[in-house]
Amino acid sequence: MKKSLLSLSTVLALAMFFLSVPEETREEWPRFEHPLLITSAGQSADVQIAGVLAKRAGLAATLSKAATEAELENIRTLALVIGVSMKGLGAAGLDLDQETSRVNRLVDAAKSQNIPLLCLHLGGEARRGNLSDQLITAFLPSARMVIVVKSGNKDGFFTRICEEKTVPLLELERTVDAIESLKTLFRSDNEPELFINILSF
Amino acid sequence: MLSAVAFFFYLSGCQLDHIEIKKPPKDRHQPYNYVGHKGMVVAAHPLAVQAGLEVLKKGGNAVDAAIATAFALNAAEPFASGIGGGGFMLIFLAKEKRVTVINYREKAPGRAYPSMFLDKGKVKNEWRNIHGLAVAVPGALAGWNYALEKYGTLKLAETMERSIQIAEQGFSVSETFSQINKDEYEKLLLHSGESSPYLFDGFPYEPGDTFQNQDLAKTLRRIASHGWQDFYNGGIAQRIVEAVQNKGGLITKEDLSSYTPIEQLPLKGTYKGFSLYSIQPPGAGGLHTIQLLNIIENWQVRSWGFNSPLYIHHMSEAFRFVFADRAHYLGDPDFVSVPAKHLISKNYASQIAAKISPDHLQDSYPPGSIDKELITKQNTTHLNVIDEWGNIVCLTQSINDFFGSGIVPTDTGFLLNNHMADFSPQPDSINAPRPYRRPVSSMAPLILFNQESPFLILGSPGGTRIFPTLTQIVINIIEFGMSLDEAIEAPRFFSYSTQGKARSLFVESRIRPETILSLEEIGHTVELRDAYDKFFGGAQGIMILSGQKIILGGADSRRDGAGEGY
Repeated sequence: MKKSLLSLSTVLALAMFFLSVPEETREEWPRFEHPLLITSAGQSADVQIAGVLAKRAGLAATLSKAATEAELENIRTLALVIGVSMKGLGAAGLDLDQETSRVNRLVDAAKSQNIPLLCLHLGGEARRGNLSDQLITAFLPSARMVIVVKSGNKDGFFTRICEEKTVPLLELERTVDAIESLKTLFRSDNEPELFINILSF
Repeated sequence: MLSAVAFFFYLSGCQLDHIEIKKPPKDRHQPYNYVGHKGMVVAAHPLAVQAGLEVLKKGGNAVDAAIATAFALNAAEPFASGIGGGGFMLIFLAKEKRVTVINYREKAPGRAYPSMFLDKGKVKNEWRNIHGLAVAVPGALAGWNYALEKYGTLKLAETMERSIQIAEQGFSVSETFSQINKDEYEKLLLHSGESSPYLFDGFPYEPGDTFQNQDLAKTLRRIASHGWQDFYNGGIAQRIVEAVQNKGGLITKEDLSSYTPIEQLPLKGTYKGFSLYSIQPPGAGGLHTIQLLNIIENWQVRSWGFNSPLYIHHMSEAFRFVFADRAHYLGDPDFVSVPAKHLISKNYASQIAAKISPDHLQDSYPPGSIDKELITKQNTTHLNVIDEWGNIVCLTQSINDFFGSGIVPTDTGFLLNNHMADFSPQPDSINAPRPYRRPVSSMAPLILFNQESPFLILGSPGGTRIFPTLTQIVINIIEFGMSLDEAIEAPRFFSYSTQGKARSLFVESRIRPETILSLEEIGHTVELRDAYDKFFGGAQGIMILSGQKIILGGADSRRDGAGEGY
């Protein structure tokens, strides 16, 4: 019962959020196309969260935790889920330098193929720290857009980088809010306005 | 000598009735000692502390309160321990002046075999961690019931009331819970999909969300009405067997029905004027803590200074030698010979101390090797209780990794352990899986006595960091004069060896940069961890002063540790 109440409140909060975002602002958001390749920068389990978010947003997505350039074939968007987990790196048999090199190669390959980069930081405040911040600093400037769960940007770290590099930044109250954001970012012009459903809730 | 201890005795002698009890600080990392005069509970979640304290205030003894706290932890900190796991309980019976151990560590199924984690000759780590094969026969409920029947005053059902309420009504999720939930998301999805009872509408819980577990509440109610045997020989047992076997595991109904905890004598050591009691192998943490303290007795650590380069270097080298012994000698003593007496002898410790050089690392750390994978585990939980009669329970238990194997028997709401991963995957190891064996554990519930009186009760989760962490806390108090919680919150470090070679030195980032530079100059590869990193455990302690007129509690802010006295 409490869960459903919370779900209801989440949807209401989301509706309020979309009501509060001016139409012209939403129109200025960049557009992305799927299929998208979702990969990690830092091997945290947040990449799995992104996979479920994409599924619920109805996007055609491939999740590959340690994706390589070869996996960019037929991909229209590269989604990079940033956040370092020492446990995750250990399980993947990688150290941070190797992980950074892998992601660098992938991002460079995406650039050369004109595949836009969407950066996501979903782990909140707990997924910050020196190592995560290194990757955030390294890859945010290459992004066409950045999505961050608000508690991860309490100190304005993402805001500062995005303002300096003129990358649009979308802050979310909760991870689950990314479903509607992704629907909006990946909508095509001939599809109906996806947040109509929210507004008419 | 023993400045901190002397200070506390002085304090307690002068100001018994005038201790100002301050509220816990807003900054949870700021050292804070809970104060009591009759009894105290410290545990990894405030709701669990309340559960234990209620029992004490109603006249229950330390065993009653410890079991109530353990049940409550299953509801409030479900990712670290519960009825799907096992552990060790160290009990001090004040009237008899006797320490006893209840070993309710999980056992391998009867069909376990040494090469069960090899696939075409290669170690298959997913089988050890997130597969039905990873699940060992749980011992927690049998152990808690044994303790209650023999040393408690309450019925099992009476100790479960608060845990049922916590599971039913829920509680606000902490940062710690949320982070661990996110970290283990993949495992939870793997076994239960987006409908896992440990996910909120398919996603990890965010801080502030309400976590409820109606399935667990129903399971606990069932145990309360049908008795604990239902878990081992009834409807719940059936669900465990189905869940494990559906995921490729080996546990049978016979494995569950034949499980029994065992009562053992404690392991005893000394450090200077203190006596130290802990658990016997396969709980290796107590043995290694005694071993480390014996080695440290050979050094003037106080003159080196707290967390000085010389201190951290010597300690790290000692850790590496101890890890070599752990891999070579430790197994289930019911089946193999463990030379505990030799390993905790002062003579052996002085031999190790003599090998350690102040200005360089050793070329090798003989003998043996240790599985590197064990190093990443954080998990487990620890609680301490003292009652008004001076009885003590010091309990460490676990489901191994956070969220255990990730397997939840259908509609039961509890997690099954993955403690089979504590066996070595190498068939020729002394700690290889074999039928009904208990895997080696790093758990180390400790009670230190100052002459005949209990002085310090201590334990921690943290996998292989448990005994290095506990050793550091003991030294922080006895040698560096810190208060209990100051000693718990102080920056920690850890190192180990595998196959005779030194591995990295992990340090919390609060350790001074110039110290780190000095350590690197000596030859250590230093890896920085977070300032307060749960990688190094989540210790809970109780300090008893002036004949139990003052009881201090310390709870680790690296997790959600809390305490309360009365």
